[in-house]
Amino acid sequence: MSGRASPSPRSTGVRRVAGDDAQSGSPLRFGGDPHVWACWLYYQDGLTQGEIAEAMGISRATVNAYLSEAREKGIVNISLDPSRLASLTIAEDLRRHFGLDECLVVPSEETRPLIDRLAMAGALALRTILKSGDTLGVVWGRTVMAIAERLDLPSLHDMTVVQATGATPATFPYTPTLCALAFARALSARCVNISAPAIVGSPDLARILMEERLVAGEFAALEAANRIVFGISSLRPNSTIHASGFFEEVSLQHYLAQGAVGVLAGRFIDRQGALVEGPLDARTIGIPLDKLAAIRTRIAVAGGFDKVPALLALLRGGYANVLITDAATGRGILNADGGVVPRPRTAAPARAASGSPASVRTHVKKFLNRPADAVDEMLEGALQAHGRHLVALAGQRRVFVARHGPRPGKVGLVVGGGAGHEPCFLGYVGRGLADAVVVGNVFSSPPPDPIADGARAVSGGAGVLFVYGNYAGDVMNFEMAAELVEADGIKVRTVLTTDDIASSAREDRDGRRGVAGNVLVFKIAGAACDLGLSLETCEAMARKANRRTFTMGVALEPCSLPQSRRPNFELGAEEMEVGIGIHGEPGVARAPVAPADAIVDRIMDAIFAEMNPAPGDRVAVLVNSFGATPMMELYILYRRVAQRLAARGLVIAANWIGPYCTSLDMAGASISILHLDEELWTLLKHPCDAAALSVV
Amino acid sequence: MSGSAARRLIATFARISDAIDAAAEHLSELDGAIGDADHGISMALGFEAVAVALGQPRAELATPAGVLNAAAGAFLNAVGASTGPLYATGFRRAGERLGAVEVLDAATVAAMLQAFAAGVRERGKGQRGDKTMLDVWIPAAEAAAQAAAAGRGGADFWTAVTVAAEQGAAATASMVATRGRAARLGERSLGHVDPGAASAVIIIAAMADALDDLPNAA
Repeated sequence: MSGRASPSPRSTGVRRVAGDDAQSGSPLRFGGDPHVWACWLYYQDGLTQGEIAEAMGISRATVNAYLSEAREKGIVNISLDPSRLASLTIAEDLRRHFGLDECLVVPSEETRPLIDRLAMAGALALRTILKSGDTLGVVWGRTVMAIAERLDLPSLHDMTVVQATGATPATFPYTPTLCALAFARALSARCVNISAPAIVGSPDLARILMEERLVAGEFAALEAANRIVFGISSLRPNSTIHASGFFEEVSLQHYLAQGAVGVLAGRFIDRQGALVEGPLDARTIGIPLDKLAAIRTRIAVAGGFDKVPALLALLRGGYANVLITDAATGRGILNADGGVVPRPRTAAPARAASGSPASVRTHVKKFLNRPADAVDEMLEGALQAHGRHLVALAGQRRVFVARHGPRPGKVGLVVGGGAGHEPCFLGYVGRGLADAVVVGNVFSSPPPDPIADGARAVSGGAGVLFVYGNYAGDVMNFEMAAELVEADGIKVRTVLTTDDIASSAREDRDGRRGVAGNVLVFKIAGAACDLGLSLETCEAMARKANRRTFTMGVALEPCSLPQSRRPNFELGAEEMEVGIGIHGEPGVARAPVAPADAIVDRIMDAIFAEMNPAPGDRVAVLVNSFGATPMMELYILYRRVAQRLAARGLVIAANWIGPYCTSLDMAGASISILHLDEELWTLLKHPCDAAALSVV
Repeated sequence: MSGSAARRLIATFARISDAIDAAAEHLSELDGAIGDADHGISMALGFEAVAVALGQPRAELATPAGVLNAAAGAFLNAVGASTGPLYATGFRRAGERLGAVEVLDAATVAAMLQAFAAGVRERGKGQRGDKTMLDVWIPAAEAAAQAAAAGRGGADFWTAVTVAAEQGAAATASMVATRGRAARLGERSLGHVDPGAASAVIIIAAMADALDDLPNAA
C-alpha cells in the first residue's frame, strides 16, 4: 500500500459505499468488512477519519486502528489498482446473483499462493461471524485447515467445534480430525470428534455405528451446529479428492458418469447441486447434505478456476450462504452462470466515434478471388515464384518437395501445418533445410494422407524426421501419417516445437505451443539432415534446438481470416495481447499498449528468466512480424533486443528480422532467442538455400 | 421417410451439412472467443465434402459401414485440423458397429452414437469434463442408450438425446478447457461454450430432424 491513491480514473460504475447495504450493518458485504470499508472511504472517497467514524458509526480511534490493521494484513490492497477493486464489485454481484447473505472476494494476484490468501480471508470472515456460545461444524480439507492455522480468537467463550465427517486413516495433515482440532485450538473451544471412520466397509456397519451411543451423541452435537465451514473438491484429475486417496477404493468414474462435478463433505453433487447417488453413500459417515443445508451460517471457502463447476453446483444447491473466493474465480463463476459481469474499470473505448454509416466497415479488405480458393491459389503462385527451390509432388496439390533436397542415405525432413503463416512453412524447403512441406487449410493442420505422401517422397532410406508445432490437430494428423508411413517400413521420428514460453508454465514445457522459433529449429534440423547424420542424431539436434529456443509475441491488432474477412478476436483501442498465439488465439494477458522498449523488456525479462545465459554465450535472434508490422517497427524492437543482450554480455551470432512466421494480417511481433552452443552454432552456420532463408 | 439404413444415413448427412453450413458463422464467433475462429469454416468444409462424396452413386455406399467410412475419408481429407481425425475416427467406429444393418431403429442409432463417442474419446485421449465435443457426445450417447432400452422411439427418443446434448454443451461454459488451443487460456476459457460442443449439438439436432420417425427396437 503506497499512501493515498494517485489520481485514478474514477469510474461512475464503481459502487458507492454509503448505500443501504452499508447502513444495514452487514459485516462482510462490500464495505462490510470494516477494514475494506474504512480504507475505501479514506483512500478512494477521500473522507477524513472523523467523517469515516461518523459514516461507520464507530470511534475515530477504531478507524485509525482499522486503517493500520488493513495495512499490516495486506488483505485489502488500497493502491486502487482498478482490477483489484473489481473484486469488491464481483463480491456484490455474486451475492445478488446467488442470493448469498455475505460474499468476500479477495483480489487475484499471483505472488502468494491462493490457498493462503483465501485462508486469511476466511479467518477474517470468521472473526466477524463467530459469536460466543456458537457450535461450529468443520469439514476437512486443505483450505479449511489453512483457515484454522490463521485463526486466533481466544476472546470467544463457550465455543464448541464439531467434526462434520468421520475420520480417515490417511496421513495428510488436513484430515477431518486434525481440522476440527485445529479449529478448537484457535477458538479455545470444546472439540467433538466423530469416533467412526468416514467410510466404512458396508451399509450395515454404517447403520450399526450410527446407533452406537458414543457416535450418536457426537452426531447430536453436530445437529446443534449453528455454523459450518467447508471447502469443496473438484473432480478434476489433480484435485484433492484424487490426491488424498480418501476415496481410493471407489471408482470415481461411477460418479463422473452420473454427472458429479464436486465433493462436499464427502458427498458427490451434480451441476445443479443435487446429491449424486453411488456405492459410497450408504457407507459414508458424515453430515448428510440436507442437514448441512439446514445449518444457519454455511461458510464456503474455495477458489481456483478448476473449481468453478463444483462451486457453481454448491451455490445452485444452496449449500452456502457465505462465500469466500478470489476475484478470478468469482468472475469465472459469474461468467459461467451468465451472471452480471463487471465491466473493466478502464473507460470504455470510444466506439467508432466517426459515426457516419458510410465509414462503418464490416469487412477487412483483401486481395482475393473466391475466398475458398485462397489457399490453393496462394500455393500456385508460390510454386511459380519459387520454382528454383520447390516442385509439386505429383498427385498432391498441397505437398511441395525440395528440388535439391532429398538424397539417398539422407534423413528426409518434413515440415508443415496450416496455411496463413507464409513464408512458413513452404519458404523453408530447400537444400540444407526441409525436404518437404505439407500445407493445410488456413490455420488448420493438413490431413494424414498428403503428409504420408510427402514423407514417402523424401525418404532416402535413412528415415524421416517430422518437425512441427505442438497443436492438437497437427499432432493427431501427423501421428496418423506416421502410422501410415511406418506401415511401409519407413522409420519416422517426430520433434514437436514448443518454443512459446508464454503459452504454458515452465513445468509444462511440453505443453507449450510452437511459434516463430520453428524457423530456427528447422534450420538446425535441416543442417543435421544435410550433413548426413543419423535419424537419431538429427532428432536429438532438433530437440536440443527446440529446448534452447525461447519465443514470446505481442499482438497489437487481430488478424482476419480470408473466409470471414473479419477480425478473429477483439482487441480494445488501447490494448495489446501479450503472449499471443500465431493463430490469433488469445495470449496470457491483455495489457495497455506500452512503448516498444517496454514491450521488448517484458519479453526479454521472461526469456532471460528461462534461458539463464552466461556472459559471452552466443545467441541467434529472430524478430518476426506477424504480417502487418513493418520493418521500421521490427528494427525498433531489434534495437532494444540488442541493447538487452549486450547488457548481459551476450553475443549475437546471427540475426533475422522480418516476416518469417506470420499470422495473415495480424499486427504484432515476436522475439525468438536461440541459445547456441558449439554444436548448434556449427549447424546454424551450415549453408542452406530456400525461398525464405539462405545461409551462404 | 423410410428406406434402407444406408440411404437414410446419406440423407442424414445431407441434413447435417445444411445445418452446419447455416451455423458456420456463429460457430466461428464462438471459436473466436477461445480459439482461432475457424471452427465453423472447418466444419462446413468437412460436411460439404461428406455430402459431395455421398452424392456419388457408388457400390460401397450400400451399407451403413460403407457410408460412414466414406464420410470419414471425405471429412478427414477436407479438414485435417483437429476435428478431422476426431470425426473421422468417430465415423469409422460407428461404421464398424453398424456394419450392414438394414434398418435404423432406436437401438442401432444408440449403438452408433456410442461407438462414435468412443472413437472420438480414443483419438483425442479426452474425457467428459475437458470442455470439448465429448461433453456433448458422451451424455447424448448415454441418453440414447437409456431411451432405446426403455423402448422409446421417434420424437421421444430424440428429445432425450437432444436435451442431454444441449445440457452437455451448456455445461462446458463452466469448465476450464484442458485440450486443444483453448487449453492454454486457463481461466479465460470460462464462460464460453466450447465451439466443438456447440457444433455437436447442431449435428445431433439435424440427426433428430432427419430420423424423426425412428422406430423403437421392438
